[in-house]
Amino acid sequence: MGFAVTVGGRRVDCAADQSLLDACLRAGLWMPNSCNQGTCGTCKLKVVGGEVDHRDSPFDTLTAEERAAGLALACQARPVSDVEVGGAGDRSTHPLRDLTATVLEVADIARDTRRVLLGLPEPLAFSAGQYVELVVPGSGARRQYSLANTADEDKVLELHVRRVPGGVATDGWLFDGLAVGDVVAATGPLGDFHLPPESDDDGGPMVLVGGGTGLAPLVGIARTALARHPAREVVLYHGVRGAADLYDGDRFAELAEQHPNFRFVPVLSDEPSSEHRSGFPTDAFVDDVPSARGWSGWLCGPPAMVEAGVKAFKRRRMAPRHIHREKFTPADALG
Amino acid sequence: MTTTEKPDLSWLDDVTMTELERNPYRTYERLRAEAPLAFVPVLGSYVASTAEVCREVATSPDFEGVITPAGGRTFGHPAIIGVNGDIHADLRSMVEPALQPVEVDRWIDDLVRPIARRYLEQFENDGRAELVSQYCEPVSVRSLGDLLGLQSVDSDKLRDWFAKLNRSFTNAAMTEEGEFANPEGFREGDEAKAEIRAIVDPLIDKWIEEPDDSAISHWLHDGMPPGQTRDREYIYPTIYVYLLGAMQEPGHGMASTLVGLFSRPEQFEQVVDDPVLIPRAISEGMRWTSPIWSATARISTKDVTVAGVDIPAGTPVMLSYGSANHDSGVYEAPSTYDLHRPPLPHLAFGAGSHACAGIYFANHVMRIALEELFEAIPNLERDTGEGVEFWGWGFRGPTSLHVTWEV
Ligand SMILES: Cc1cc2nc3c(=O)[nH]c(=O)nc-3n(C[C@H](O)[C@H](O)[C@H](O)COP(=O)(O)OP(=O)(O)OC[C@H]3O[C@@H](n4cnc5c(N)ncnc54)[C@H](O)[C@@H]3O)c2cc1C
Ligand code: HEM
Ligand code: FES
Repeated sequence: MGFAVTVGGRRVDCAADQSLLDACLRAGLWMPNSCNQGTCGTCKLKVVGGEVDHRDSPFDTLTAEERAAGLALACQARPVSDVEVGGAGDRSTHPLRDLTATVLEVADIARDTRRVLLGLPEPLAFSAGQYVELVVPGSGARRQYSLANTADEDKVLELHVRRVPGGVATDGWLFDGLAVGDVVAATGPLGDFHLPPESDDDGGPMVLVGGGTGLAPLVGIARTALARHPAREVVLYHGVRGAADLYDGDRFAELAEQHPNFRFVPVLSDEPSSEHRSGFPTDAFVDDVPSARGWSGWLCGPPAMVEAGVKAFKRRRMAPRHIHREKFTPADALG
Repeated sequence: MTTTEKPDLSWLDDVTMTELERNPYRTYERLRAEAPLAFVPVLGSYVASTAEVCREVATSPDFEGVITPAGGRTFGHPAIIGVNGDIHADLRSMVEPALQPVEVDRWIDDLVRPIARRYLEQFENDGRAELVSQYCEPVSVRSLGDLLGLQSVDSDKLRDWFAKLNRSFTNAAMTEEGEFANPEGFREGDEAKAEIRAIVDPLIDKWIEEPDDSAISHWLHDGMPPGQTRDREYIYPTIYVYLLGAMQEPGHGMASTLVGLFSRPEQFEQVVDDPVLIPRAISEGMRWTSPIWSATARISTKDVTVAGVDIPAGTPVMLSYGSANHDSGVYEAPSTYDLHRPPLPHLAFGAGSHACAGIYFANHVMRIALEELFEAIPNLERDTGEGVEFWGWGFRGPTSLHVTWEV
């Protein structure tokens, strides 16, 4: 007889006489382990659902209190029911919801770029930087769009959408026929691209780099970060092809007026300009910031730009665990 | 084995210590293929070389722990790795309290992180470093040194001690008559021990009178009737076990993991970007180049047959965990470092009642050290102008690792 062991959303079959560790490793799912005989404690994990038999787990390695708290040694424990194993420090997330939204506004704000405002009947709990998934009417296809909102702007969702030629969701719908009053089906909030909880946010300097409509979540994140620590250093780079792709300049000028340590830096890649920086935004960061130690970094937009940003941030010695990224991976490449 | 025909192992007569220390893999690959349990003349001992046979011998009720001849010559008696029964149980009960997971969890971060930070601060703005001597070894010895109560012994001294004890412990070459082939090779170990005694004896004198929370103070007092302490002659051999293996191996482990990762730039990148992968990277590093490559042994307690070989009672067998972890019957392309290989247990920490007592501590020391290294220098690159050489048969790791980065 066998049971299902669920680890971080993955289900693995585990025979009644098989250790949780053995079942996971055989399924190609790595978990920490060293001695495989119950003596080192490396494989200790938390059973959050179901029950296990601790078998020969020595009390030296797994104390009675730890057993009572639901801990187990994966290399010794056998399932006696289906078992769910907790991940490291389960983060609480906002519950995922199915949403029925109404289009309140559709505005062309830059070349091939639209702002779409969606009204919700009920407020939505989310963290600035997360995204929602829209269902494309007719096709049933789902596409992700980041929220430009702060968490208290919870009744009207703001999306920035860039047209993709021939795109099902964009060319075929959001840029063609979408009208005020339309009803849109969506799910959200999704994603882990958001600030740490306020209690863990020490107000350290931040650099944000958005490519095209990759700016959207950064609008919410930057405003949230500045609301928490009005004097913190925040540099926001907006990378686009040409001046015609820029938008929301006034909004950032206003933010800069309120926050002396906030800077908005548009960077044009395909167009010489006397007014704006040229090149790639991640290179502009490397030129501007000699050391990003102690900074956090936020990257959103085309995958190649995000990858370049990770390299640029590390080059300036930003700690990798403070590098956050959101890639606008095309749906057909999401797999 | 299905055949009773004995393989021709005369090629083993030509194997030398120097060759094994430089690169043991060729010899052991052949041993695994031809004779997973074989008598190796230069070592004067039987050797277990496959995962299956190492595990069998290490955990068999028909075997017990024994120290290798050169090891015994270096550490003396009763070293924890070479005793059994009540003495072994007493020594395990002496060392284990400080190494229990719940205990280690309580202080490991506060112990190791500041040490790692301190060493990083000394070179993080230089743009280049030799990580074995400037980081891996210092973090390793300082963490354990402070735990043991050896705060007053500087890190370079602790590094010097393990290096000398190492060369003495692995001075394993035997003559046909069963004598040490190179008795001179024990001299530097003897000198190190004399120095250790000169420094540690006064500390022991103090701990006898004024116990504190250091591990060695606990070793003296724990479980003893009031007013009594364990005799220092009784604990010194195990102090030497610590001053060699426990001091040296986390440093070897970190350095080997780094070299392995450097051999797979995309995997290096993944681990730097996602520190959650560090424990897995270390685990593969331990498999790829096992720090305790071939240093411990077991002895048969009765006539037994292992891997088709009949061995009489009282026969020592060396456990070559570093070879077992390259067993192609278990691991595909074992000599390749691969973070993503199918995750299977390895034998780098041994098995059975003599398995490593410091696994949990060692894994965390290595994890925290690499976390801090990648956090401070995420743009680390191997200095390709400098080669990397591994050395060692008993204990193995890179002798140096030059790196550069943009500051
Ligand atoms: C987490 C997440 C958040 C996102 N947030 C936003 C957002 O806030 N704003 C936004 O505009 N988009 C965002 N996207 C991208 C969005 O989800 C769609 O992929 C995009 O709008 C294209 O959808 P489509 O149906 O129009 O094109 P599809 O029909 O999916 O694609 C048509 C063709 O164009 C290619 N293609 C798709 N996108 C691109 C591109 N960017 N460049 C070049 N070729 C492309 C496809 O590979 C395909 O061949 C996000 C994506 C993810 C994964
Ligand atoms: C990466 C680092 C380390 C590795 C790879 C390692 C590996 C090993 C191995 C292979 C053995 C022999 C097991 C056997 O014969 O089956 C051993 C024994 C031992 N190790 Fe470790 N070790 C490491 C670090 C440590 C540390 C830091 C400590 C203490 C703090 C420690 C304490 C011991 C002890 C006490 C023994 C002897 C156990 C006995 O014989 O009962 N080790 N180790
Ligand atoms: S792996 Fe050592 S206790 Fe499970």
